[in-house]
Amino acid sequence: MKKILVVDDEANIRELYKEELEDMGYAVTTVENGDKALALLDTTKFDLVTLDMRMPDIDGIETLRRMKEKDSALPVVICTAYEEYKHDFGSWCSDAYVVKSADTTQLRDTVKNILG
Amino acid sequence: METAEKTELHILSEISRISNASTDLSDKLHRIVEVVARGMGKDGASVFLIDPGGKNVTLAAAIGLNQESIGKMSFPVGMGIAGWVAEQRVPLALEDPYADPRFAYVPESGIERFKSLVAAPIMDEDRCLGVIFVLSTASWNASSADITLLTTTANQLSGVIRSAQMFRSIQDRLFELATIYEIGIALTSTLDLKELLSLIAKNSTQSLRAQGCTIRLMNLPEIVSHKTSSSFSATGDAIADLDSRIGGVVAERAAREKKPLLITNVARDPDLAEGCGALAASVISVPLIFCGNVIGVITLYNKEEVQPFTESDLQFLTTVASAAAVAVENAALYERMEDLATEARTRAQELSILNDIGTAMSTTLNLDRLLRIILTAATMGGSGLGFNRAILLLTNERTNMLQGMMGVGPTSWEEAGRAWDEVSSKHKSLMEWIQTGELFEHRDSALNTLARGIRVTLEPAEGVLALTVLHKKPYNIVDAAADPAVPRELRETLRVDSFVTVPLVAKDRVIGVILVDNMFNQRPITEGDIRFLTMFAHQAALAIENAIIHTNIETLNKDMRAMHEQLVQSEKMAALGAMIAEITHEIRNPLVSIGGFTRRLAKKLQSSEDKKYIDIILSEVTRLEGIIHDNLSYIKELAPQLAETDINTVIRDILALYEDELAQRRIRVETALSPALPRLMLDAQQIKQAVINIIKNAMEAMETGGTLIVKSYPVTDAREAGIEFGDTGPGISAKAMHNVFNPYYTTKPRGTGLGLPITNRIVTAHKGRIEMRNKESGGAVFTIKLPYPTEEKKP
Repeated sequence: MKKILVVDDEANIRELYKEELEDMGYAVTTVENGDKALALLDTTKFDLVTLDMRMPDIDGIETLRRMKEKDSALPVVICTAYEEYKHDFGSWCSDAYVVKSADTTQLRDTVKNILG
Repeated sequence: METAEKTELHILSEISRISNASTDLSDKLHRIVEVVARGMGKDGASVFLIDPGGKNVTLAAAIGLNQESIGKMSFPVGMGIAGWVAEQRVPLALEDPYADPRFAYVPESGIERFKSLVAAPIMDEDRCLGVIFVLSTASWNASSADITLLTTTANQLSGVIRSAQMFRSIQDRLFELATIYEIGIALTSTLDLKELLSLIAKNSTQSLRAQGCTIRLMNLPEIVSHKTSSSFSATGDAIADLDSRIGGVVAERAAREKKPLLITNVARDPDLAEGCGALAASVISVPLIFCGNVIGVITLYNKEEVQPFTESDLQFLTTVASAAAVAVENAALYERMEDLATEARTRAQELSILNDIGTAMSTTLNLDRLLRIILTAATMGGSGLGFNRAILLLTNERTNMLQGMMGVGPTSWEEAGRAWDEVSSKHKSLMEWIQTGELFEHRDSALNTLARGIRVTLEPAEGVLALTVLHKKPYNIVDAAADPAVPRELRETLRVDSFVTVPLVAKDRVIGVILVDNMFNQRPITEGDIRFLTMFAHQAALAIENAIIHTNIETLNKDMRAMHEQLVQSEKMAALGAMIAEITHEIRNPLVSIGGFTRRLAKKLQSSEDKKYIDIILSEVTRLEGIIHDNLSYIKELAPQLAETDINTVIRDILALYEDELAQRRIRVETALSPALPRLMLDAQQIKQAVINIIKNAMEAMETGGTLIVKSYPVTDAREAGIEFGDTGPGISAKAMHNVFNPYYTTKPRGTGLGLPITNRIVTAHKGRIEMRNKESGGAVFTIKLPYPTEEKKP
């Protein structure tokens, strides 16, 4: 079973994504900030990360950079409410950029595309 | 002792007695012929003297002949008995002279009373002075002793004549010296040139008993050049007329040859014969020479019936002329100094007027008011330049035209009279006019309308107005109708024959033209007027230039303020936009939760009743998400409005805008903007915003001052422009290096953190990119790379 790590400071969002992705048959772990996510990556191997941009302490961009430092092959999907910055840094080194929506279809399609 | 010897002794002793007496020569000769006739026991004797030219022998004394003949009875040398003896220089005894072919009878001389004669030449060494005759009423066959006696007597006589002539020449010389002395005294008595010339003419005329005198001056300093001639004529019209016809030619000859000229009879001179007409006259002409230069010529005239001038007259006049030359030069110099003093007074007055006008002009920087002051000054009497009308035109470099700006002056005689009465009755100075505000009262005169209608292209063919600008010099038009430089149109506009144009030159550049005329009082415009007007124009030009610069600066200032406002406004908008974005994001997260879980709930619910409510919730969530999306798109989509833009100008504008702030922060700006850059397709407003954000960032990085280095350069291979901003701050930290374009990342305690991300977005929207690096020497460098416009291939 493929493992997905969901990083988001909003508990409700973490819960929603976890349930949606588990419904798709993935094993989902959630953390509420970048530091914990990075720490977890040291001990556990994940197949994909969904990453929020705006978080307290280290934000999504910094977290993304460090994740790619650890494992540049790890697919990271940015999930953010900021749709207007998509072309500013969306394509830097993330594998996908998904604007958060109540309709999770885009997220699910993106994950399915990457993980097969 | 024999009788003959006794007689000879007697005659000789008598002659020596007579010669020692202090009487004049003619008296002596008269007494001598008496002694000779009596001594030789005859009834008559006479003496003929050869004139100084050696051409004629003339009766000088006689006894037994008619006394009226003395001085009149004359023979050319070689003619008559007297002439023959004078020529042959041998004694001659004729018992019957009437039968001799050499005899020439002179009627009423009294010679017919005599039957015989003996003549002997009066010799002085080898020079013949004259002839002595002894005449006998009885037939007389003279013996050789008689002839010897007469010859001896003649020899004695030569000494008498010689000493008498010598005495007379000494007397003449003394007289001459006395006259010259008197003239010298007279010459130093005045420094008035006119008076002096008249004095020289009068003295010379009197001393030489001439009939007329003319003095012509030349080559003197130009101040007196208008007095080219001053004449004094003693005998009125005939000589004055002669002088007017030949005087110039004579004077010119004397001046050219630089030496005295004696013309015994002008009628025989090939150059003058035609000019002098019927009037034959004698002329002497002497150049007045000072320091080797001919400064004039003095010419004296005598009509023929009077004694012609002699060499000694010429010599005398030469002496007078040399003294006169010095006096004339002195007088001319004095006159010139007086003229210079007058000139200096005029200049001082002009300067005072210019100073007043300058003060008046300095009261305003308003162009319209300034032009009115200038034109009023040009047309005011008293404290102004006093022309009747004045028009001012300014050049427009952009259109290459000269444009009439304003005209001041009356339009009609009536108005002119009224205006002058008004001015003279009020006695107001220019400053008073300005201070009372009267000068600026609205008076739209016909001349002003007319002036404003003048438009001339700056081409030489356009005539005098264009030429004044192009050749940068004044034009004095005296006869507009005949002057090819005055186009018909201008002539019809101005309706005057004479006017003057002067260029308005400020900092070596012609910024306009002032045109003045004296339409109403018809006073001719002099060179002095033009010179003064030129000085005035120079002053006026500088004042106009200042006013124009001031106006430009004001406009620029206004533009800058507007631009600043605009920027502040757009910054406010950006902040507002950021705030809205923030709020919408905050709303989006709960919406995701609400919508997401509702969807999950919907899957589990079977009741259609419940599903209906769920659908309502979901559709409302979707609507809200739609609103947020549209809202954010509006903020996000800053689609650039592209236009050809000079990026260097954009940079300069911004640096000018932040000049004060940079200076306050003690930040020095160095620029190296490449002129080789092509014009880029940019949205200037957006690029400005992008650049400002970088500069602000740099300013904040250099908290204690530093240097901002702004460069632009072409990257030809990549077909893009590089615009580099280097600061001397601490540089970009490793952390910041990855975050500067993050909208919510900021190292500053205050600030939205939106600055550089916005810059990045703008540059990206222009298909460009931003690069950043730290300099080894410290400080950060941000480089914007903007692509060249795509070349449109022409078919």
